[in-house]
Amino acid sequence: MEVEISRRKFLQGTVAMSVVGSAALSTNLLSSSHGSSAKPGAVSFHNTKTGSDKGHDVATLCEMCVNKCAALARVENGVVTKLNPNPMFPKSKNMLCARGNAGIQALYDPDRLKFPMIRIGEKGEGKFKRVTWDEAYSAILNGTDKFPGLSTILEEEEDNRSSMLFCAGEGMAEHTFKQFYQAFGSANWLNHASICLQTVASGYGVTLGSYPQADLENAEYIIMAGANRAEAIVTPDTMDLFKRTKGRGAKMICIDPRFTNTSAKADKWLAIKPGTDLAFVLALTYVTFTEELQNNEYIETHFNSYEEYKNSVLENKYTPEWAEPITGIKAEDIYTIARDFAAAAPKAVYYPGRRSTFAKNDFQLRRAMAIYQALHGAIDTKGGLIFGSKIPLKAHEGLQPLYEKAKARAVVKSTNKEGEAGYDDCAVVSGGGSWIGWRNRFLDGKMPYKVRGMFCYKHNPMMNMPNTQKTAEMLRKMDLVVTIDTMPSDTVMYADVVLPECTYLERTDPIKTFGGVEPSIAVRNKVIDPMFESKPVMDIMKGLTTKISKPLFEISKKFDEEIQDLIDEDGEEEAYAEFDLTLPFLHTQEELNHHAVADYPGAAEKLHHDGVFYPKQDDYYKQLSANEHQYYPENKKSYSVRGGKPVTPSGKVECVIGSFASKGIDPMPVWRDEYEFSVPAGKFKLLTGRHAQFTQTGSANNAMLIDLMPENFIWINKRVAAEKGIKFADMIEVSSSIGSTRLKAYPTEKIAPDQVFFIHGFGEESEALTWAYKNGGNDNAIIEDTMEPVYGAAAMHETNVSIKKV
Amino acid sequence: MALRELVNKIVPIKEDFSIKSLLGFKKTPLNVLVFFMIMGLLLLLVWGLAQFLMHGHHAYNVTREHPWGLLISGYIFFVGTSTGLCIIASLGHVFGIKEFNHIGKRTTLLAIITLLPGFIIILTEIGHPVTMMIYNILTPGITSAIWWMGTLYGLVLTFIILEFGFALRGNHKWAVRLGIGGLIADVAAFTTLGSVFAYLVARPIANGPFIPLYFLLTAVVSGAFFMFMIYGFKHKLNFPEEVKITLVKLAKILGLLLAVTMFFEWWRIITAIYGDMPERADTMMRIIASTSFQLEVLFAMVIPFVIILVSKGTALKALFFSSIAALISIFLMRNDMVHHAQMMPMQMLKKTEYQLAPTWIEYSPSPVEWAIAVGALGVCFLLYYVAEKAFDLDEDDHH
Amino acid sequence: MARYGMALDYKNCINCKACETACKEENGILMGADKHRIWVGTGEIEGQYPLLDLTSNVFHPSQCQHCDNAPCEEVCPTQATYTDENGVVRVNIDQCILCSYCMNACPYDARYVDDRTMTVDKCNFCAETRLARGETTTACQNTCPTKVRIFGDLDDPNSEISEVLRTREHYSLKAHLGTKPKLFYLT
Ligand SMILES: Nc1nc2c(c(=O)[nH]1)N[C@H]1C(S)=C(S)[C@@H](COP(=O)(O)OP(=O)(O)OC[C@H]3O[C@@H](n4cnc5c(=O)[nH]c(N)nc54)[C@H](O)[C@@H]3O)O[C@H]1N2
Ligand SMILES: Nc1nc2c(c(=O)[nH]1)N[C@H]1C(S)=C(S)[C@@H](COP(=O)(O)OP(=O)(O)OC[C@H]3O[C@@H](n4cnc5c(=O)[nH]c(N)nc54)[C@H](O)[C@@H]3O)O[C@H]1N2
Ligand code: SF4
Ligand code: SF4
Ligand code: SF4
Ligand code: SF4
Ligand code: SF4
Ligand SMILES: [Mo]
Repeated sequence: MEVEISRRKFLQGTVAMSVVGSAALSTNLLSSSHGSSAKPGAVSFHNTKTGSDKGHDVATLCEMCVNKCAALARVENGVVTKLNPNPMFPKSKNMLCARGNAGIQALYDPDRLKFPMIRIGEKGEGKFKRVTWDEAYSAILNGTDKFPGLSTILEEEEDNRSSMLFCAGEGMAEHTFKQFYQAFGSANWLNHASICLQTVASGYGVTLGSYPQADLENAEYIIMAGANRAEAIVTPDTMDLFKRTKGRGAKMICIDPRFTNTSAKADKWLAIKPGTDLAFVLALTYVTFTEELQNNEYIETHFNSYEEYKNSVLENKYTPEWAEPITGIKAEDIYTIARDFAAAAPKAVYYPGRRSTFAKNDFQLRRAMAIYQALHGAIDTKGGLIFGSKIPLKAHEGLQPLYEKAKARAVVKSTNKEGEAGYDDCAVVSGGGSWIGWRNRFLDGKMPYKVRGMFCYKHNPMMNMPNTQKTAEMLRKMDLVVTIDTMPSDTVMYADVVLPECTYLERTDPIKTFGGVEPSIAVRNKVIDPMFESKPVMDIMKGLTTKISKPLFEISKKFDEEIQDLIDEDGEEEAYAEFDLTLPFLHTQEELNHHAVADYPGAAEKLHHDGVFYPKQDDYYKQLSANEHQYYPENKKSYSVRGGKPVTPSGKVECVIGSFASKGIDPMPVWRDEYEFSVPAGKFKLLTGRHAQFTQTGSANNAMLIDLMPENFIWINKRVAAEKGIKFADMIEVSSSIGSTRLKAYPTEKIAPDQVFFIHGFGEESEALTWAYKNGGNDNAIIEDTMEPVYGAAAMHETNVSIKKV
Repeated sequence: MALRELVNKIVPIKEDFSIKSLLGFKKTPLNVLVFFMIMGLLLLLVWGLAQFLMHGHHAYNVTREHPWGLLISGYIFFVGTSTGLCIIASLGHVFGIKEFNHIGKRTTLLAIITLLPGFIIILTEIGHPVTMMIYNILTPGITSAIWWMGTLYGLVLTFIILEFGFALRGNHKWAVRLGIGGLIADVAAFTTLGSVFAYLVARPIANGPFIPLYFLLTAVVSGAFFMFMIYGFKHKLNFPEEVKITLVKLAKILGLLLAVTMFFEWWRIITAIYGDMPERADTMMRIIASTSFQLEVLFAMVIPFVIILVSKGTALKALFFSSIAALISIFLMRNDMVHHAQMMPMQMLKKTEYQLAPTWIEYSPSPVEWAIAVGALGVCFLLYYVAEKAFDLDEDDHH
Repeated sequence: MARYGMALDYKNCINCKACETACKEENGILMGADKHRIWVGTGEIEGQYPLLDLTSNVFHPSQCQHCDNAPCEEVCPTQATYTDENGVVRVNIDQCILCSYCMNACPYDARYVDDRTMTVDKCNFCAETRLARGETTTACQNTCPTKVRIFGDLDDPNSEISEVLRTREHYSLKAHLGTKPKLFYLT
């Protein structure tokens, strides 16, 4: 089964390694009882040739990134030998990308976390001791001589449940972990939103009522600005889009400061100065207004404060000529795009984007984009932005007890008068919170109460948040850090207790309904049993809550008068029932999933077998050819579900949001001089982003993917590189005001002379990651923690760096 | 000694031949030097072979884009020289140039002892030599130049060993008959080896009739240089009259062949460059610009040619020294030929994100490749030395 | 019995390299820089920022062309390289002597040495895996997000590939060499 790798030429010699047989998977540094931090000498790979017999397929869902493509896992003798696309899922349309295929390497990664561990060395040192699950749970409850446990912390904080922070990355089982957070009773929740899609989701959210999808399958004209669908894969957009580019049905204009793989497929690529998209959209809007290109009928019924916005745009004279020097895009191009977009509307899409918050003005940019789209009536229509429909699932009960002593969310207001609402760092605090704002307040000692520890699920804030040094400091200052991860990530290195979750191929996750033009329900079925001592988060939560629920209740009993009263009234047993942390985890995931689709006859079986379900699936689903599938007949697709009506509370497109003014936010998108792009002489604006073969930091140690691209390089304009005597693969030190990182040079004309770029997710510092350790450069070691003012999201392209050949 | 008698029945061995006689060379500084040189070369070969046995092709620096390396060149060098010697050996008996009669036996021997190291090398170049023996017979690839080349060289070896045997036994009739067979097989084999490259439609610089013809020409050139070297050593540059006559004659033939070779090269270069055909003209420009090619032309062609031209073939001492340089250059020439055929990548696009676009393919042999290719020379010298002691190679002189 | 070929709608290719990983996982190919049956090539972009030549940046997926007139097969001394009953050019590793002649003869750089068996390997249209199981797709074709590849029987006039080759313009690589590739690039 085991396959060696080519020793001589592996990775073009970039990573030294040794090869052993199948025993390798059971050896690991972190598991060794003396907690050595030496690199494992043994590495092996499951890169197994699939057999020639029928084999056994399990329908599952990929979790190598956010998209959740449907997969059929081929299992031979208990080993997953191949992941194939499951054609039944309308969202993933019979595809698995490179990362999806390489999921097997995540499953069989020899560096995987295999056993529960507790810290025995200094924080961040990565020295752990292997323990049993029970010992790990006990350590979380009672601490060790190295760190305090929950009981100490809650005792000292007088049952302020918010003294524990909960944070999670995106994932299907995030829901399970979130239930733990809710049951625990903390008010401090942080997720990836504020370092990912916060501004675009909110910008569209407040303007159109929802973050819509784009019907790229039918759009005739697409403005792809600040989104790189060829490399940052989003389904079904990536598939829908590129089958139709360049004279094949859709005209695509790509707007990106870099020449990306998406640009390569565009009819026109316009190199914009970073952070100036708002001026571009305003200029488009100006042309729309002056040339009467808007859809007046739509505007009449579906717009609020249209005139006000129109006047603002016209009065401010956001002409293409005005925008040209700001954006670097020629006025004539702006005129043409505005006219072509209008001509194609409503089959026209100004693509909303995903990872947003490039610059401080991002929220206003997304608002301007949403309004621009709506002006053409291309909302909730075929070929435009759509809301789609969703197949409802039956909810199951969670637990959200109220603890009297639990303090409200740790957001402060120092500038405002006491007692008034208002925030230091940003105007609005969303559900996902502001990671940077939270971390920095914590470090600056500006928390309204003490936060002493954190639970971190499937999330790697060390590597993913700007200013790595500050994140390290935060983690070091936390009394108790519990991480639930599959890999010894940089964040895990700072943990006090490490709980190994099994990978997505070893567990059944909460069922999910996927809305859109072609809605469906899909499920991740367990493919093989968890390896080593890893467990699904569901089981981890069950074990942990069983351990801590009662003892923590005892602490509450001491401090919480309401609980005391309740006990007096109903007796202890009944009172406890409302605070019993184990309640959300009583059922197995399979049972919960069964329950969720109980309203649809046959759905549970179908989901178990095919992984996908939607009503009338058997009638609708057809394989048209090896590559083409029909999921819904054309007349059953959910292009238009609301007759164009936005989903805002008013049912209208909100051009002007009056309530913002009091918070110091522009009520409608306007351009401000400070938004203008500038870089001091000799410096470069640093851009960051995706690569088609890697997912943020999560796949940095995947041997199959590193095989495709061994490390990240920094893009430097060729002419600049020549001037500086920098040649291909020269080692470069990149520094900013907060730190520096090193990686190799890639001189190219794909980037402007005053900018540099490198792929996010490389340069890990965790020695337990054989491949990823110090492989390439870490962007967040140099990206300054600049916040966008509205939601406190991380504005990632505001950092100037200098480069030096070393 | 029974064995000795048995061998003697097949081929006559010198009376005084013994292990002792082998070691009993005069301990002059030159002889000692040669002794250590041969030992050194053999050690190198043994080390190389050991590495090959342990690591197979992993010990070589050949790659996907440049699958043939120094071992192929070394092979071509040795078997080419052998072919040349075979042709020279037949000048007397087969073609009736009587000045060459007396060197026939020795030259045939030289052909054998240069062929064997070639075989050693090719067996290490083939990844699975045993499989080769089996499937060459079971499933012959008769459209394959390598199959024909291998089969023909099997014949060649058989012919010339038998020829040498009959010559030693004084059976001239059969020696000549076998000589003719060997000659035909050898010329066919070496030109077929040329065709291994010439058939490559994928490689415009090699494709076409040039290489087989060029191989034939340069085989004789290479054999002639080898003769000058061996006779130079044998007579310590004090050539007896009879030998002198033969060598001057050989020098004149060599001069002619060199002229033809240079003529050939010239037209190859010009026709490759003219018209600027892609993958041919640019490759040729790169060839001309390379130092190794320039050295090859200078030392293997121009200098010996000038010496022969100026001295009318009589400057044998100069020719001896220039022959050594020329043989080294011919080694280079073989290497160049093999490398030039593979220099142009078949795939010009970047396959990974961060790499430079493919350009000319580079190759430098690994220590093991060097050890085998150069070490094989030790076998050649050793065999010659043993044969010199064991057989009467000059018997012909007295006929 | 079929004559398999592949048509590539290569302008859809986004260089995501799903096909490369699928091939490696399906067929148990070694990792390592030059160990691949399939690849996607890109050219260096031409022009000066921001005036780049959009056409100079094509993504060009490729693999063994399964030449009808295969030089690799012709030069093989032991018939280790052969065309199977489905028109797939394959290597019988028991017969391969690693003379490397085929690697030199292939005009497409489609062959390499598998370091485990030390024999020559190349794309075989998944003949030992998927085709052997009776499937009718290759791993690279099946996984591709933008459905670049159409795989099928060229002898079957009703197959999708025959249809597409009849109705769309296409070219093959180094056609002048007379190798008669069975990989077709749709334009
Ligand atoms: N500089 C810079 N920073 C960025 C970005 C950028 O482009 N540039 N991108 C931002 C964006 S858009 C996002 S979404 C965030 C992403 O930030 P994160 O949400 O932190 O995502 P990942 O880097 O994928 O890290 C996921 C972690 O989960 C672990 N993991 C994977 N699978 C499982 C599982 O099944 N169970 C458990 N328990 N753990 C698992 C992985 O080992 C890894 O440690 O990063 C943001 N940060
Ligand atoms: N392969 C792969 N796919 C992924 C992910 C992954 O990690 N790998 N991650 C998933 C996740 S979590 C997310 S959030 C999405 C991210 O999807 P995207 O947001 O599409 O991905 P990014 O690479 O962040 O793309 C941002 C693009 O904007 C460009 N850009 C930078 N600044 C500006 C600017 O000021 N103006 C304009 N117009 N463009 C600018 C960058 O050069 C870059 O090409 O991808 C998802 N899909
Ligand atoms: S896009 Fe790729 S990594 Fe993401 S879910 Fe789909 S197959 Fe998996
Ligand atoms: S999978 Fe398809 S789109 Fe991706 S690189 Fe391969 S051929 Fe191109
Ligand atoms: S592409 Fe190369 S390996 Fe494939 S059949 Fe043609 S010559 Fe042979
Ligand atoms: S390397 Fe193997 S397959 Fe290739 S020609 Fe030689 S024997 Fe045939
Ligand atoms: S057809 Fe099969 S063997 Fe050939 S490249 Fe595609 S996946 Fe690999
Ligand atoms: Mo994201």
